[in-house]
Amino acid sequence: MELNLAAIIFVAILANNILLHQFLGVCPYMGVTKRIETSVGMGMAVIFVMTIAAIITWVIYNFLLVPFDLGYLRTIAFILVISSLVQLVEIVLKKTNPTLFRALGIYLPLMTTNCAILGVAILNVQMDHNIIQTIVYGIAAAIGFTIALVIMAGIRERLDLVNMSSMLQGAGVTLITAGLISMAFMGFSGIMTL
Amino acid sequence: MRDSLKMALTLLVIGAVCGGLLSVVNAITQPIIEKRSIEDLREAMGDFFPEMDAVEEREIDGEMYYEIFDAGGDFIGVVGEVTASGYGDEPIRYNLAVDSDGEVVGLRIDSHTETPGIGDVIEEEDFQSDIIGLGFDDPIALDQDVDTVSGATVTVRGMVSSIRRVVDTIGMEFLGLEVEVVEIDPADVDDGTYTGTGSGFADDVTVEVTVSGGEITDIVVVEHNDTQSYFEQAEAEMPGRIIEAQSLEVDTVTDATASSEGIIEAVNDALN
Amino acid sequence: MTTISQVFTKGIIAENPVFRLLLGLCPVLAVTMTAINGFGMGIAALFVLLCSNIVVSLIRGVVPPRVRIPAFILIIATFVTIVDLVLNAFAPGLHEALGIFIPLIVVNCMIMGRAEAFARKNTLGRSIVDALGMGIGFTLALTVLGIVREVLGMGTAFGVDITGAAFEPMALFASPPGAFIALGILLLVFNLIIKRLGFE
Repeated sequence: MELNLAAIIFVAILANNILLHQFLGVCPYMGVTKRIETSVGMGMAVIFVMTIAAIITWVIYNFLLVPFDLGYLRTIAFILVISSLVQLVEIVLKKTNPTLFRALGIYLPLMTTNCAILGVAILNVQMDHNIIQTIVYGIAAAIGFTIALVIMAGIRERLDLVNMSSMLQGAGVTLITAGLISMAFMGFSGIMTL
Repeated sequence: MRDSLKMALTLLVIGAVCGGLLSVVNAITQPIIEKRSIEDLREAMGDFFPEMDAVEEREIDGEMYYEIFDAGGDFIGVVGEVTASGYGDEPIRYNLAVDSDGEVVGLRIDSHTETPGIGDVIEEEDFQSDIIGLGFDDPIALDQDVDTVSGATVTVRGMVSSIRRVVDTIGMEFLGLEVEVVEIDPADVDDGTYTGTGSGFADDVTVEVTVSGGEITDIVVVEHNDTQSYFEQAEAEMPGRIIEAQSLEVDTVTDATASSEGIIEAVNDALN
Repeated sequence: MTTISQVFTKGIIAENPVFRLLLGLCPVLAVTMTAINGFGMGIAALFVLLCSNIVVSLIRGVVPPRVRIPAFILIIATFVTIVDLVLNAFAPGLHEALGIFIPLIVVNCMIMGRAEAFARKNTLGRSIVDALGMGIGFTLALTVLGIVREVLGMGTAFGVDITGAAFEPMALFASPPGAFIALGILLLVFNLIIKRLGFE
């Protein structure tokens, strides 16, 4: 069991990174990674929301949808849970920890359209994870996402200081950089299979 | 108050309409989806066994096995609807057809998420012809009777180890064959702790066996990659049975046959 | 006030959701290993966008502003589920190839974006045209990227071998890094063309 969890963590962060290999969460990738601090902020928000969302959606799927043969309502149920969760977290955080709330800033509402959160929720169900594996995968996937963000931000901050044609600047070079990072991470695959 | 009511009502109405629409679409599409997968399977089985007349289903280790009988009521083979763990995100679903002599007569890949151009070599003629014709008594192992494919090692290894497991299961459960286990006498083994590997459901199983005073005193599973819920059942029973009988000729756990076999093989490997 | 034809063309070129607005990138990168998959995803998204824009525009007078986001989510998710079920029943190959990205259409920022920015403030007719423009622009982008990746990565286009034995396909383009790089290059090309043609 322990080994299985270690494998889940390794695969989620390195060998099958949800952003660099599974393309989940690419939308915010372009906008958020201009600076390292914002990337870290986004990453923290994602880790928090993704884990809780993974748990709640898992419970709803296994205890509500499946027993009543309502599997086809999965997409609706999950996205409603996620958007409600994000709203709730915003409200609660604003009251209980205003500093954290301000630090996370705009990244909190952005969670709703983050394909990574819905994607991981669905993946957990597809891979037939039990609740422990769901939690572990949720956290690990979010960490993998954060690492991808931070690496990219680090590189982009440096790139900002380089002279290059205006055509390349912005999305163009960001995507190519992402490709190179993705290639580097592909080296991890095949070490462990899930 | 009126505002809140209006908001809640709007959402409720929208929700109800959406829900209604969805259940209608679902009612229409569900039977089509189910029917298609059954048809695909029937078609595949007919390909493997043209004389197929009647089919009996059995669930083993969480997978479906179909016993095929011809018009005369004779048993002609088994088709397993099974999975292998490869490189991709999801298991490779495939069907393996084994005839009454324990020989593989057909392999059909149902679905996979292996890398196109690399891992999908398992769908090709070369790989499949390597597998067809192999039997229960053949090694069914990479570099022995199945060629490795460079660049697709993980995928191919996963398939081969799965095929080995399925052939074993079909052999034991339907054909009455027995996986060869060299009978060991613990009295002949020096005291100490030994490590051994056997092949379980998804991949290898590794155990540590302790022998003391001519008897097996402890068996600990060190590593496995099988589905936890099934392996647990095997792990709970098998070491106890082996130690009590001081022999490897023990019954496997129903519903966790392959994992049980994996443990037996691993202990066998350790003590030889 | 923009004309109807402007509403349409902006979705295809000047405000192309993929190449200019950088929306909905997750499926763009993930399903474009082959041209037909890219095209299929584009059509699926277009369908959802169209239905969503129509409904949102129709009910725009009735929905209280404060609950509009959950309402839009419900509507979009419903159409996405319909697409999911219909594809599973009638086009299982495509359904399997697009996999998890079918349900993920629901968080495609393009769809929610158009509902919020356009459909709830415009007439039915204009909303339909907007959806068509954006949807076609999206499909075009996906298909082009799909063709590029398929040709470079596997030597075929829509399953038809077009490069022959002389060209050794670069598996790189069929895999994740290739997706990023190919899109990056296409983006450059697209922006170059736009600048030259004076659309900016």
